[in-house]
Formats: sequence, C-alpha cells, structure tokens
Amino acid sequence: MPKIAKWLFRSLLLVTCLAGFLHAQSSPRMQILLREGQAALDRGLFEQAVQDFEQARQLGPENLQANRGLLLSYLQAGRLSQAAQFGREAVAHWPDDAQLQHWMGLVYFKSRQDTLALEALHHSEQLDGAQFEIHFDLALVLLDRNQYAPAAAELERALKLKSTNALAHLLLGRAYQNTNRTVQAIEQFQTALRLDPMVPLGHYHLGFAYASLGRNQEAIAEYERELKRSPDNPSVLYQLGHSLLESGDEKSALANLKKTADLDPQNGDAFYDLGKALALAGDTAAAVGALERSIQLKPADPSPHYQLARTLEKMGKRDQAQTEWHHFAQLKQAQPQTGGMASGRVQ
Amino acid sequence: MRKCKLLSIVIALLIICTAVYITAARSQPQTRTKRPATPAKPTAASSISFLDVTRSAGIDFHLTCGSLEKRYIMETMCGGVAVFDYDNDGWMDILLVNGSTLEDLRAGKCHPSKLYRNNHDGTFTDVTAKSGLNHCGWGFGAAVGDYDNDGWEDVYITYLDGGVLFHNNRDGTFTDVTAKAGVGNPGRWGTSAAFGDYDNDGYLDLYVANYVDLDLDHLPEFGQGPFCSYRGIPVSCGPRGLKGGRDRLYHNNGDGTFTDVTEKLNIDPGSYYGLGVLWLDYDLDGCLDLYVANDSSPSLLYHNNCKGGFTEVGAEAGVAYSADGREQAGMGIDSADYDHDGWPDIVKTNFSDDSNNLYHNDHGREFTDMAGPAGFGPISIPFLGFGVRIVDLDNDGWPDIFVANGHVNPQVDQHSFGVTYAERPLVFHNLTGGKFEEIGPRGGAPLARRYVGRGLASADFLNDGHEDLLITVLDGSPVLLRNQSTKKAHWLRVKLIGTQSNRDGFGTRVEVKAGGITQTAEARANSSFESAGDPRLHFGLGEAGRVDSIVVRWSSGKVDTIGPESADQELVIREGRGSTESLPTKHR
Repeated sequence: MPKIAKWLFRSLLLVTCLAGFLHAQSSPRMQILLREGQAALDRGLFEQAVQDFEQARQLGPENLQANRGLLLSYLQAGRLSQAAQFGREAVAHWPDDAQLQHWMGLVYFKSRQDTLALEALHHSEQLDGAQFEIHFDLALVLLDRNQYAPAAAELERALKLKSTNALAHLLLGRAYQNTNRTVQAIEQFQTALRLDPMVPLGHYHLGFAYASLGRNQEAIAEYERELKRSPDNPSVLYQLGHSLLESGDEKSALANLKKTADLDPQNGDAFYDLGKALALAGDTAAAVGALERSIQLKPADPSPHYQLARTLEKMGKRDQAQTEWHHFAQLKQAQPQTGGMASGRVQ
Repeated sequence: MRKCKLLSIVIALLIICTAVYITAARSQPQTRTKRPATPAKPTAASSISFLDVTRSAGIDFHLTCGSLEKRYIMETMCGGVAVFDYDNDGWMDILLVNGSTLEDLRAGKCHPSKLYRNNHDGTFTDVTAKSGLNHCGWGFGAAVGDYDNDGWEDVYITYLDGGVLFHNNRDGTFTDVTAKAGVGNPGRWGTSAAFGDYDNDGYLDLYVANYVDLDLDHLPEFGQGPFCSYRGIPVSCGPRGLKGGRDRLYHNNGDGTFTDVTEKLNIDPGSYYGLGVLWLDYDLDGCLDLYVANDSSPSLLYHNNCKGGFTEVGAEAGVAYSADGREQAGMGIDSADYDHDGWPDIVKTNFSDDSNNLYHNDHGREFTDMAGPAGFGPISIPFLGFGVRIVDLDNDGWPDIFVANGHVNPQVDQHSFGVTYAERPLVFHNLTGGKFEEIGPRGGAPLARRYVGRGLASADFLNDGHEDLLITVLDGSPVLLRNQSTKKAHWLRVKLIGTQSNRDGFGTRVEVKAGGITQTAEARANSSFESAGDPRLHFGLGEAGRVDSIVVRWSSGKVDTIGPESADQELVIREGRGSTESLPTKHR
C-alpha cells in the first residue's frame, strides 16, 4: 500500500506540474510577454526585451521561444557575459536548435571568441542551411578574420537564398576584391548599389576596385559620389586624393589630402601622399614636412624615406638626402619584396 | 527573429568601417620636378591603324617555348626577334629566335630559329637553311650590330646556356665566331643583349642580361614552394627563390675578340634578374650610359664617367624603383624624346598589378615617372608588359608608344583576377604636351585581339615611310602588323654610317628641325624585350614637306650638319663627309 500511495502521489505531482507547464506555455500572460519582448527588440529597447523575456522564462523555463528571446535580448543589450552563460545552458538543453546556435555564435563573435563563434555558426548552418541570416553572419565572422575565400562562399550561399540583399552583395564584393577577383567584385558592388543606392560605402568600395585595375577616372567618380554622402570621411578623402595623385592631378589631390590629414592626423599614408603632391606642386619645403610626419607615423615604411631622399636631392640638400637613402636601404632589407609575382593589391 | 537582421547590419557596418581604415596597398603615384614645356594640344582622334599581314607576308614561324602549362620559368620568357638588313639590300629582314622544350633539349632535338629575307613587296622568304643560323639550343633574345665594322650586320643570340655570336659573311650566310670572340656567356641564361660603344673607340661592345642561374637537373617543381604561387594559385617557380644570373659586359678589342669586363667595371654585382637592356646617353655627355631592367629587383642605371668606368645611379636618378620606392618587375625598355625637350626619356614595362613607367628625363640629372600624368601608367596595371617601342606610328611628329603584353602564368585564365594570359597590346597615341591616349581596338582588329606577346620590333618593312611592328607570341605565330595609318603626313628616315665612330652609328644623336619642331633621336638597334629593331632613324614630320636642317652628333665627337632636305626620303649620312645620298623609297 505505501508503495501504491507513493506511486499515486508522484503521478499526481507529475500531472500537476505538466498541467502547470502546459498552462504556462499557452497562458495569455506568456503570450503577452513574448509579444512584448519581440516588440521591444524591434524597437531597439533591448533592456525592456530582457525584462520581458526573463519574465516569460520564469513562467515557462522550458519555453523555447522565451529562451531564444532572452538570449537574443542579452546579446543585443550587450550583456555578453550573461548571454554567454545563459546561452551555453540553453544550447546544452536544445543542442539541435539552429537559432540558439546562431545567436550563440554571435555572442562568441562579439566576445571576440572567433573560433567558438565559427563553431557555433557552422553548427547552426548544418542544422538549417536555408537561412540567409546564418550564412550572412558566418560570412561576417570570416571577413572579420580576413578569411575572404570562405566568406565569399558563405555570401554566395546567402545570396542564393536572398539575392536582393544589397549589403550581402557589397560584402561579397569585398571578399572577391580581397581574393583578387576584381572583375567579379566590381559586379557585386554595382549590384549592391543598384539594389540600394545608399548601401554603406558602396561607392567607396567600387571606386577602390576600379583603382586597383588602374581605372582611376572611374574610381575618382565613385569616390566623389561617396563623399556627397559622407563629406568628412577621411578614408574616402584619402583614396580620392590618392587616385587624383595617381592620375596626375596633384592640385586637386592636395585639397583632399590636406583635409584627410586634418581629419585623421595619425594617417601616415595621407601624409605620405600629401608630401608627394606638395613636391609635385613645387612646394618642396612643405613636402619635406609632410614626409617627415609620415616617417614618424610609419617608421618601418621605406617609401617615405625614398620620397624624402628624392625631394631633398631636388632641393640640392645632398647630405640630408644621403641620410634618407641610407634609411631607405636599411628598411628595404626588412621589408617584404615587391614586384613581379609579389605584386597585387588587396583591400 | 527579425532583430537578427538589424544585428547583422550593425555588425556588418562595424566591419566595413573597420575595413575602411585598413590601409589599402598603395600603387605608384608619380613624382616629377616639372611638366614638359610644350603646351598641351590634344589632337583629333588618332589615325593609327594596323593590319595583320603575317600570313600573306609568308611568315610561318612557330615559337616553341616549353610546355603550354608553363611548368618552369624558362618556358615563359622566349620570344626574341631581330629586324635588320642582313644582305645590305636596303630592306629590313627578320630573324625570329626559337626556344625549345625540356624534353627536346635533353634529346638534342632542335627547334631552329628562322631568318626571313625581305622580298621588297611585303612578302618574305625563309632563307634559314643556307644562313648558317643553325645553332641548336633554347634561344631567347637577339642583338644586332656590326661588331667588326665591315659594313655587314652581325647577330648575337642568347640561349639558356650561353650566347652565340654569328658573324655575317656578306654572302647571306653567318659563321659562329663565339669561341674566337669570347662572348659565350657560358652556362648562363641570357635574355636581352645589346651592342653599344661605351668607350667611343669605334667598336661596338656587348652587354648581355642574364636572368636566372638554372640547374636543369634540379628544376624547382611547379607550385611547390614559397615562390611558386601567384595570388594563391600554384604556378611555375621564380625568379625569386632562384639564384640570379650576373650580367656580362664584353669590351670589343677591335680585332674580332672581346674581353669580359664585368668584374673589372663592377657590373651587376647583385646578380639581379636581368631582362631588358638599353644603351643611351641620358645626360648628353657623349658617352653611352646603360639602363638594365631587372625582374623583381631594382633596375640599374650605369652612368658612364667617360673614362672607361660606370657608376650605378639608378636609385638617385629615380629609375631603379617605382615612384614609391618599390621594386618592380621590369621587362622591356626603350628610349626616345617623347616631348621634344631634347633629352631622351625612358619607357619600361612591368608585371601586372603594377604600372608601366614613363621616365621623363629632367635634363640629365634625374628622371621623374610621368606615367600617371601622361595617361600612360594606370591603364597598364592589369597588363603584363614585355616588348615596348617608342616610335612615331602616324608620322605626326610626336613619338607614340606600343606595348606588347602577355602574362607568364596561363593559370590566371582559370580565375577572375582581372588579368588574362593572352592580352591585347596597348597603343598610346602622343597627344603632345606630355599626354598620351591609349587608342585600344580603334587601331584595327589586330589591336583588339589578345596575344601572349613577348618580343617587339618596329621597322619600315616596305620602305614607305611607315613604321610597321612585329610581335612575337609565346607558343604561337608572330604577328606582323602593317601600318595603315594616315598617308598624308611626311616623314624622313636616316641611315647612319660611321667612319670614325662605330659603323652602325649606334649612340649617334640626330636632331631634325622641320615644321618648327626640333626632334632628337639616338641611333640604336637593340631595345624592347629580347629584340632588335630597324636601326634607321625614323622621323614623322606631320605637315612639313621639308626638313630645315639635320644635325648629326657622332659618338666620335664629330658633328655633321645637313640640309635643307626634302621630306619623304631615306638619307644615308656618312660620318665626317657632310654629304648625303638618298635611297629610293616606295611611296604609297
């Protein structure tokens, strides 16, 4: 009898819990919290979303949607340590849930744990290969690690699922550009801009691709388009100045390079090109100053010494030029070789 | 979750913005001290056009150069051509240097070079069989010069394992005199070679650019090693990782023999990978200087001190590196005064992903790479340049530039790098004012086609006052391009005969004044890549039907002044006589 009583008690307890669980799963309160949490996420109110999903999870710890929402809320709210701890438990509980793996991958990515991030995202991809977002985010992590070839493959997969995503085309263009597929990169940048003329830095990247093929006039036009959207972007200003300099328009280059140097005084490349442009314009004294600044900022780069030596030779300052030639020769020995098969530009 | 998208975009933007700050590899912006004085005067659309007449001309040569997949570096560099008047009939003939394959070389099977005699009607006859130019080897480049001043052009051919000097017997045959002359360049892989009289003793000396010291029994395996890949794909190895071959300078003793003065004059002590050779007097001091284009290493400019020695000044002069001080992979070189300021400028072709150079001579002190401002450099970036000639193709009085292109790795065609193995040539029309315009396929169908171009020579094959072109093509037939450009413009051709100076007059500077313009040119045969071109000086005169004066500054120091002369003729000028004779020319 006692055994039967125990068995009955346990069964009753189980039924009660199950009923409670089912109630929690489907209770109006739970539904409201899930809806509000989602709405908070949509509005960017991530802390509010955290509260909503935490409450939902208290009501129904086994509710997958509440767990997914809470992990994403932690992630978006920047509570990375909480997200990581909670996410690990959730993923252990639901190891085959693609979305949890996806969010967990992003938690790791934002926590700079790229290996774990890739592991989680790859797992997520295996679980659900039909989600654009998973391929896209996997590509982001790969791009961040400069793994351009696999990133390109992921973006190609993503675009098969959603070919109208301008950002994916843009990033695929970058991946192509960095794997020396410049022609394909240009196609991707053009597609991105066609889909969304405001895609971030689209004209900038297209300009760079043109420039890498020596198509400077087209590059200049793209940089100028980009500058209309962000007139004080020092990177765009620099590349515009650089391409103008390359195409022999040092006067126009000067204006852009001076502005670049003002906006980004730590940019050694800008001071280098500024020095070159000034020398071409005949202002050798100012050129020397800019080149010396470039040397300060890029002490291991032989090019500013080369340029400075040539400028000093032009000024008739042979002794100072000799010193620069000496520095140039010394630094050359420590530099990777250029020319021939070592040529090639990457972004 | 919908927020996923937002998060992705935020992260993407972060990455993009970060990437923007990642320094992009810089290319080669240009520096210069001054612009050419001539004001810009862009002309109307160029009339330059060419017709491919290879087949109808009877040129049936096939250049063999190893395997088609180019497993080894020597399979990528063949293509020498020499255009010269071997039989002294006043018409330019053609010598095409052949390569070989590793298997055939080992088996002793020959791939003969071919000599074609000009039939004076636009066709050529293969006269190889009786010419004696039958050395069996893997050939690369050719140089032409009358080293013994007997009035007949001799030929030097570079091979994978040395070089051969063929003496012209004056009867349509040649004799191998290498051993006697002492110019065998033994065991070395020569590429370009050039004759020039650096000590002004009246005899042509010989410079041989050597590329790589190869051990054929221990060739580096395709794609195996740090220097056997290009943009991440396996390709033939080198030149980096392989031992460079030290160039040789042979001094002509004047008695049919030469002395190797390489060590004595400290030539190429770094044993760089030599590919292009050019004798020129860049500072107009009357002594020939020397410019050598090296692969993947600094190019060298040897300043002649006029006392029998040289000082290497490439870096200081601005022609050793790119404008940013980076090593380039120099291939072909040529020189001419493209802006008529009286100083010889230099053009150099380079590997793809790099700009070709147009070094403007800043009055003999140094050079400034004007490739960007001139509209010459950036367009060349996807192309891998080899042969190059600066020559007035439309006779408008301003030298144009022709570049033969072709990659070294056929494997690039399997990828979308933006570069291809076969590439179209580039034709730059001189707009004056230091500007050029690449006319591209507008110059006729042959300029739109892609070739794996290597050697390049220019010559007036028809003696009609128009410079034709001959491109050698790796593993294929050469392309003979007949100049179809405007027939209205006038021209003048000058053949020099030295008496105290070397018989070819190499190094002689000729100034032609016509139509208010003074053009200067320096006589030479050897330039471009592994090539020798028509040694006669060609001047386009535009609308000028008369030449006001011709000043000839011989390397001996003598000066002949001639003129006025009528245009549209070939003048033969003999040193010291101040007299000329006119050769019959064919008019269109």
